Amino acid sequence: MSALAAIGTYLPPWGSEKARLGGLDEDALTMAVEAGLAARSASDVAVTKVVFISRSLPLVIGGNSAVLLAGLGLANDTEVIEQVGGAPAVLDALATAGPGTMVLAADLDEGAGAGAALIGPGPGATVTSRGRVHRSLPVRAQSLDGVLHEDDDPRLVRERGTRASFQGLALDAVPFVVAGLSPRETAAFSGPNPPVLPATGAFSAIFALAAAAESGAEQLIVAVEQATASAAALGAGTTPVVRVEPEPHSPEKRRTHPGPDIKIAFTAYDRAFDSKVAWEAGECPSCGTLALPPRHRCLECGEEGTSVLVALPRTAFVYTQTTIHIPVPGLSTPYSLAVIELDGVGVRSLATVTDSEPDTAGIGSTGRMVLRRVATRSGVPDYGYAFSPDGIVHRPAYVEATISGGTR
Amino acid sequence: MRRVALVGAGMTPFKEHFDLGIKDLVPMAVTEMEATVDKGLDRGDIQAAWFGELSTTDGFPTGILADSCGLLDIPVSRVENACATGQDALRNAFYAVSSGYFDVALVVGADKVRETSSRATFWEWMGMTRDMAWDFPLGLVAPANFALHVQRYLHESPATKEHLAMIAVKNHMHALTNPKAQLRHTITVEQAMNAPMVAEPFGLFDCTPQSDGGAAVLIVGEEVVDRYTDKPVWIRGVGLGLDRVMHQHKVDMTMFPATQKAAKASFKMAGLMPKDIDVAEVHDCFTGVELISYEDLGFAERFEGYKLVEAHDTTVGGKIPVNPSGGLKGKGHPPGATGIAQCVELFEQLRGESTNQVEGAKVALAHNIGGPTAVAAVTILGSSKD
Ligand SMILES: [Zn+2]
Repeated sequence: MSALAAIGTYLPPWGSEKARLGGLDEDALTMAVEAGLAARSASDVAVTKVVFISRSLPLVIGGNSAVLLAGLGLANDTEVIEQVGGAPAVLDALATAGPGTMVLAADLDEGAGAGAALIGPGPGATVTSRGRVHRSLPVRAQSLDGVLHEDDDPRLVRERGTRASFQGLALDAVPFVVAGLSPRETAAFSGPNPPVLPATGAFSAIFALAAAAESGAEQLIVAVEQATASAAALGAGTTPVVRVEPEPHSPEKRRTHPGPDIKIAFTAYDRAFDSKVAWEAGECPSCGTLALPPRHRCLECGEEGTSVLVALPRTAFVYTQTTIHIPVPGLSTPYSLAVIELDGVGVRSLATVTDSEPDTAGIGSTGRMVLRRVATRSGVPDYGYAFSPDGIVHRPAYVEATISGGTR
Repeated sequence: MRRVALVGAGMTPFKEHFDLGIKDLVPMAVTEMEATVDKGLDRGDIQAAWFGELSTTDGFPTGILADSCGLLDIPVSRVENACATGQDALRNAFYAVSSGYFDVALVVGADKVRETSSRATFWEWMGMTRDMAWDFPLGLVAPANFALHVQRYLHESPATKEHLAMIAVKNHMHALTNPKAQLRHTITVEQAMNAPMVAEPFGLFDCTPQSDGGAAVLIVGEEVVDRYTDKPVWIRGVGLGLDRVMHQHKVDMTMFPATQKAAKASFKMAGLMPKDIDVAEVHDCFTGVELISYEDLGFAERFEGYKLVEAHDTTVGGKIPVNPSGGLKGKGHPPGATGIAQCVELFEQLRGESTNQVEGAKVALAHNIGGPTAVAAVTILGSSKD
């Protein structure tokens, strides 16, 4: 039997209650990792397969799975399915997933955020499909030319999209909540007082499940996207929900500056990747000294060529920091840089300060290291760890051992 | 090893030389130097040359020096060592002459920062000194590189941003009489404190301008000094020091170990102590770097550099005048030329010929620190051999 072992949610600390905005250094992948780590913090189910569903996949050519696995602390031989889809696709994926599957959903448009649902062998609430309908009414459409075509006809969408697909589902009860619709439409198609979902994209299906799990009762859930709909029943059982949903703030204005691309050297990218994206240091087998970045010759004893990658702590404090105000082409200013020191190991790193206005973190400020798109170089996302000061985004204390631990 | 002396030293003005290329600035600097050789220079005497240039903006560096200066029959080597480039070129030439292999050597430093657009400059120059995977993409621009040190320094020491402003005021004032300086106007502490922020704690007036320029010195062995001048300036000590490259590997960012090592080597060679220095040109690409360097060079106790500033000890007329030329801050900072230009100023100081003369100066020190604060050079000059 398959059951929901844990649910994790993530909303960026930017925007408003109505519509969250992804931070300048966030994308669907980094948000999915935030939600995935939240889910992993509540379950020790071993993840053997990851399904990543989004309509904002960072790379269409080039692949996202290596970064996704490294960010989640999973081995790079884990099966990954990258799927373009919306909320119905997420419900379908969950209803058919076997134990060990983590379904991640994330979006940037129509409200930014991410959700993660981890399937285990039980205990936990079961998810059972109650049918799906694929119909076509592409009033919002985007083809390979990248241009979004929108036809503003909400009544057509309501009648021939949502209502017609609902009829196709032939449900025997009114759903607890419908994901993929505006709060007003959700109320029209749901039972009394449905939970308010923060967005309409793929990840809203996981927020619907989270609300259902927290209700403590068996619930029927529907997810729609234009004229496509899926239904699923959440059975009895307790599923922990870990929400990383900070208060939203309107970002202060930052300036972007035209100029040459920040160049990428793929050789350096390749050499740094494992350490930089999985947050691992090179450990000297002779004296135990940790080096970030990993290096050929030990910083302490001079041993050469034998270091092995080990997971680094993710809590840190600021040793020194500065905020850059002058225009820097390719970056948004002002921005803050810090030299942070990781708790317990004395390892330092240069990091951008994220999740906050510039100059928020002073010397001595504590925080967590989180996966971010630290730069876009020659059009390619460059991922690494940024410093998120405490007090803005409250994250659960992840079990560090479950994150990597030298298993990669 | 025999003694080596500077017998000529000259430089181009430091400024935005949009109309001049490196092929113009290099021969102009050499001609300026030539004019200071008291008894004249036959270029045929020059046996070797060293060229300090950080960034190649107009083609093959050593060939340009040989070609543009009419020195096609001697060996020319290029030295690149971040902001220590100029002094390191001098150090290498010093060894060659000191060893007795050459009697007469030319040292030139030049750079054209304003050859590329100011937008492109950021990434081009950062790319030379940053880890391409770990530092470069984060936007560790030059002011931030030093600001991370100075922020920690201000956190641990009693010094404040006002002391940084006082250094800016001093160096602007010193530059007033220097005909080669880029910024020849005075500023007030209030102006410096209220200037637009560049990178905390540095405002606009805490930062060196972007400059183009060239500088040159002629060094000769003890036995041939008399052929060129009766007022040589002796190279008493040279030193180069290094440190860990990445900021995260520098245990204490309130100091520059590279400077300490370079100073130790240079003072040891000279057989002198910091208290023996009458005048110094200290790397002030950012005001706070000058402040920290007072301590690394031994002019002040740890975390007491601000006392020199408050007492105006580092102003001309004070106990240990620093940057009478205006420093990088007032004079300008084309990196390859900077260290040589410091020696040009100290050449004049030790001969009593500076436009901002430190009375009775007999021993002088030049200092640079650069790259990701991982290399420093210290050169000690004297009006007497011992
Ligand atoms: Zn070791």
